[in-house]
Amino acid sequence: MADYIKFVDVTKCDGCRACMVACKNWNDLPTATEEYSGSIQSHAKVNAHTWNVITYNEHETTNGNFEWLFRHQSCLHCVEAACEKACPEDAISHTKFGSVVIDADKCVGCGYCAQNCTFDVVELATYKDKHGKEYRKAQKCTLCTDRLEEGLQPACVTACHTECLVYDEKNKVLAEAEVRLSKIKERFPNANIYNPQGIKGTTTVYLLAEKPSVYGLPENPKVPLSQVVWKDYAQPLGKAMFGVTTMAVVGSVIAHAIKKDSGDHKGGQDHE
Amino acid sequence: MEMNVTRRQFLKLSGAVAATLAIVELGFDDKTAKAKSGEFKIAKLKPTPTICPYCSVGCGILVYANENDVVYTEGDPDHPINEGTLCSKGTTVRQVYTSEKRITKPMYRAPGSSKWEEVDWEFAFDKVVKNIKETRDKSFIHQEGGVTVNRTDAIAYLGGAALDNEECHLNHKLFRAGLGLSYIEHQARI
Repeated sequence: MADYIKFVDVTKCDGCRACMVACKNWNDLPTATEEYSGSIQSHAKVNAHTWNVITYNEHETTNGNFEWLFRHQSCLHCVEAACEKACPEDAISHTKFGSVVIDADKCVGCGYCAQNCTFDVVELATYKDKHGKEYRKAQKCTLCTDRLEEGLQPACVTACHTECLVYDEKNKVLAEAEVRLSKIKERFPNANIYNPQGIKGTTTVYLLAEKPSVYGLPENPKVPLSQVVWKDYAQPLGKAMFGVTTMAVVGSVIAHAIKKDSGDHKGGQDHE
Repeated sequence: MEMNVTRRQFLKLSGAVAATLAIVELGFDDKTAKAKSGEFKIAKLKPTPTICPYCSVGCGILVYANENDVVYTEGDPDHPINEGTLCSKGTTVRQVYTSEKRITKPMYRAPGSSKWEEVDWEFAFDKVVKNIKETRDKSFIHQEGGVTVNRTDAIAYLGGAALDNEECHLNHKLFRAGLGLSYIEHQARI
């Protein structure tokens, strides 16, 4: 299967928010009301029940022009995902579609992923079990992995009427992105394709009209070394140590039992 | 230490070692983490095509419903107008059915009253028919300046975007030719 990615051409977005509603509709997410901020933007950023948000950025360009910049903000599905590295329960993993998904059964709601996410798109949702006890689960965009498995496109892409959101073969999309970039360069000299290589690229690639920082995106994100060390070295080692310790304990118990056994029965052949 | 391991002891020992290995194996297994997805929510549902009730564009919508509820709605990819896409308002169409605020019975507010009350359909239809008949009879103009006009200016009719072309045509016939209305409008033109 060829690699597929989601492509967001922000210069085609007209801010209609159909992607936001389509996401809620498909994923059965409840409303998440926030106080009016004075902007047309509905939510400050994505949250546990709002997996994508259109940000409305009022931007003054260097030559004094006003640009109203929209961006479909959601999980970028990093190839090297900080949330996956941070998760102590191995609840976060990559699917064959490149999407980063959280296994709700394994998630214990510790929130390490939310704290470490490069793009601040993971949040904990609070639920109540049948006894009224509160528990938390990390929530974010799944790239509609359940739809991808059935050969459908993500719900947000399906709804988009300006072809700002596209889900297609990676090579095709990236080539198209270059063409689009050359077309918008005249109006947006700072335009760029956002596919940060510090995290080995993302499964959602943006065509931005302005520098990433204008959109609140890190210019050159990286997964902190401490997390790589933690996940790729410390954690497996810890598990190995756990195994060794268990072996040693069980081994000693057995050895002790045998010793005791042989002591008790003096050869112990009476009932063999 | 002399170890006289009997058959029984040997079996005990190998069992224990196997168990230990199993525990260690679980601890090491970080490759089984896999995307967990529940049942595909529209797997067994047949979509019903409909027209969006909001603006005049008239986008096609597919409605996925089970016996009790509307589960999902999305743009109809086969519809020539929207080709599968949908705006944010049209995407909320599921709530027309699922919303708690949905009115499921005819409501009546008597003249001069400040509150709505639930009535049955029979009452509602009778009331509408009676009022139209009375108003039309009272206000009907047969002739104006020697010209036969056969119209009433006391009733207006407002159509909506949920009506398709043929329904609009039929409504037009009923209200203009049938009842003699001249104030006929459509929500999409307002």
